[in-house]
Amino acid sequence: MINDEYFLAALRLAAGSDPIPGHVSAAARDTYGLRVSQAVTAPPADCASPIGARGGDGPGLVRFVAAGLTFDLEVTVGDGLIDVAGQVFPHPGEGSHVDVRTPHLTLTRRLARTGQFAVTGLPPGWLSVVCHRPGLAPVQTRWVRIRP
Amino acid sequence: MREPRDPAELLKSAADGDRTAWDLLESRFGPRMWAVARVCGLNEADAADAVQGAWLRLLEHLHTIREPSGVGAWLATTTRREALLIARRDSPGILSVDVASDPDPAAAVLEADDSRLLWKTVSDLKEPCRTLLQLVATDMGSQQMAVRLGMPVGTVGPTRIRCLEKLRTLISLQETVQ
Repeated sequence: MINDEYFLAALRLAAGSDPIPGHVSAAARDTYGLRVSQAVTAPPADCASPIGARGGDGPGLVRFVAAGLTFDLEVTVGDGLIDVAGQVFPHPGEGSHVDVRTPHLTLTRRLARTGQFAVTGLPPGWLSVVCHRPGLAPVQTRWVRIRP
Repeated sequence: MREPRDPAELLKSAADGDRTAWDLLESRFGPRMWAVARVCGLNEADAADAVQGAWLRLLEHLHTIREPSGVGAWLATTTRREALLIARRDSPGILSVDVASDPDPAAAVLEADDSRLLWKTVSDLKEPCRTLLQLVATDMGSQQMAVRLGMPVGTVGPTRIRCLEKLRTLISLQETVQ
């Protein structure tokens, strides 16, 4: 049995018994507003503490690398909200900043001299960080889903 | 009536900044993606996450989809991957997935726009396949299905596989004839 999900999905679609909810369609359309023109996407890379290695209680670490930049994100989930402590290195230069984004909320942070930044109280779900560098293409991490 | 815009053209327009093209992609493929997420066993909230995840992946790959005309199958494949990852409840925390460069060939069944043909083919099947597949399509559980079909619950799964195989064969034959 290979990928029967597609066939079953076609049946469900034909039956019309479980149409896509309006809010799901609306969220999909709103996703387009998250497009960052000319951005380079950084995929996850191997790092000292791989994804999920610390389980659900401690912080999770994930590294993204592209265009000469490395993003280290330490994500903590507590009380149903997400805190992110991150570092971009090497430092992308004077005037750089990061946007920590969820589909519904973007928080902008100037980078410390060490390239570090932090945000707290994000809703669980999809998350991405974009680093804006003067005169260079922005670099965005791939979207990752974070749930308690 | 105007011909619907080609998916490859919609993808290119969306990549070039045309929001309307993105909305049209959503109109055309969103319902299929929802159906894929739901048959992977996700509840509404998780299915919504899986569908949104697939759209976010498309956003990341707007300029790099290898076969733009197959963007529908790519979205279905990506939705399934995201859904199966979410369905693995034993991995809390950060979830990331390798993005498919090519869609699953099996996703092509969702490309067929003629759902009436699929439904008619189901209606033409003999029992118990006809009723069983109609019940499958409405997301009825095995226990309830067994009661409705008057068969032991243990036989529902194997019968479902056989019925899907029959349906697949009939659809393939119809496609061959056309």
